[in-house]
Amino acid sequence: MRAVVVILAVLLIALPLAVNAEKAKSIDELAKMYDSSRCKACHAEIYAQWEKSHHARPLMGVAGGLMLVPVVKGSPFAPKDPKQATMKNFPCFKCHLPQALTSAEDSFAVELTEALLAGDKGKVGKLQITCLVCHNEKAIIHRMQLGKPEKDVIYSTKDIPSHPDKVFTKVKKSTVMDQSIFCGQCHGTGPNFEFENPVQCATLYGSYQHNYLSHGGFQSCQECHMPKVKGKADHLIAPNWDDKAHSSELLKKAVTLDVQTLGYSWLRKAKDLHPMVVVNTKISHTGGHRIPDG
Amino acid sequence: MEVTAKTPDGKEIFKDERHYHTQATTCLDSKMVYGAQNKASYVRDTALQPYASKDETFQIKLPEGVTTVDVTVDLNYELQVPENKVPIHKVTKRVTLER
Repeated sequence: MRAVVVILAVLLIALPLAVNAEKAKSIDELAKMYDSSRCKACHAEIYAQWEKSHHARPLMGVAGGLMLVPVVKGSPFAPKDPKQATMKNFPCFKCHLPQALTSAEDSFAVELTEALLAGDKGKVGKLQITCLVCHNEKAIIHRMQLGKPEKDVIYSTKDIPSHPDKVFTKVKKSTVMDQSIFCGQCHGTGPNFEFENPVQCATLYGSYQHNYLSHGGFQSCQECHMPKVKGKADHLIAPNWDDKAHSSELLKKAVTLDVQTLGYSWLRKAKDLHPMVVVNTKISHTGGHRIPDG
Repeated sequence: MEVTAKTPDGKEIFKDERHYHTQATTCLDSKMVYGAQNKASYVRDTALQPYASKDETFQIKLPEGVTTVDVTVDLNYELQVPENKVPIHKVTKRVTLER
């Protein structure tokens, strides 16, 4: 009996440690945990598209900025002391670095806070929404029914019997991967109330659901933002706002501007003519969501 | 979107703007804020919506002696700050009252 109690006590102490042991304590550890660089060997074209995408720099914003600096410097979420930063200081992780929520501990938040305050773009830039984030971590939404993503599986739009990788040896179909709900996990629906301060960030999916579908739209996020290139989905997931010329071309295709003008003299009352020009503008677009949104 | 009217010799006689985007506050006061970490909720939405057009009318009263103007409508996507623009459309039309 005494032996059983001792074993149980050891297990109770050891279990949390074992779970903690799997969590990243630093930026490098988390980056390594989700490193997808070996995907490049077989999926070079897709990898090159992703490297140019905002998913490859989710904490950098546009034009090489560091979008989280205002969060840690002067927002309701800013830690009083960088050394005391915790995961709670970063609601942005929900979408900008979802793997941090499941796989990093507070010391990671401390290092990130210090890197942000130091303007260390090299260090912050290591944190990416890598292949593994979408193709494993976020690949299953119905977890009560389907369970959590399996550790050795890459999820895709179809089953593939074998996958020549040392860790991810199987490819299984994720039914939601080509549906808008998949993107909706991050490109959200409205204020996030689960934090200790509300956070109003991306609302694309809400706009898609309430303003696009309701008017009869049927296209998915992937159909427009991941069109097939040589038979495979484009992982640039345009727009890439750092490429202004390309973004401008995309916007020109999606947004129309019609301008009508009239020059005449308006008669306010007898003999009281006012020379006037009237300009009528009409802007419309083919997007499946409000513009702008995120 | 910026609408300007200039006389043929380049003198600006009219300028107006429209801004199409969601607008949010902290909901603790009435000041608009940027940044998801500050925004609590939208309070106004003037963004371009699916299956809906944005129709505007600008009436430009011409100064005395001016009968011809060049109207320019400049539509840009602004990234983070007004100075960082991605051009979408720019339309210029000469409008005259002369017949």
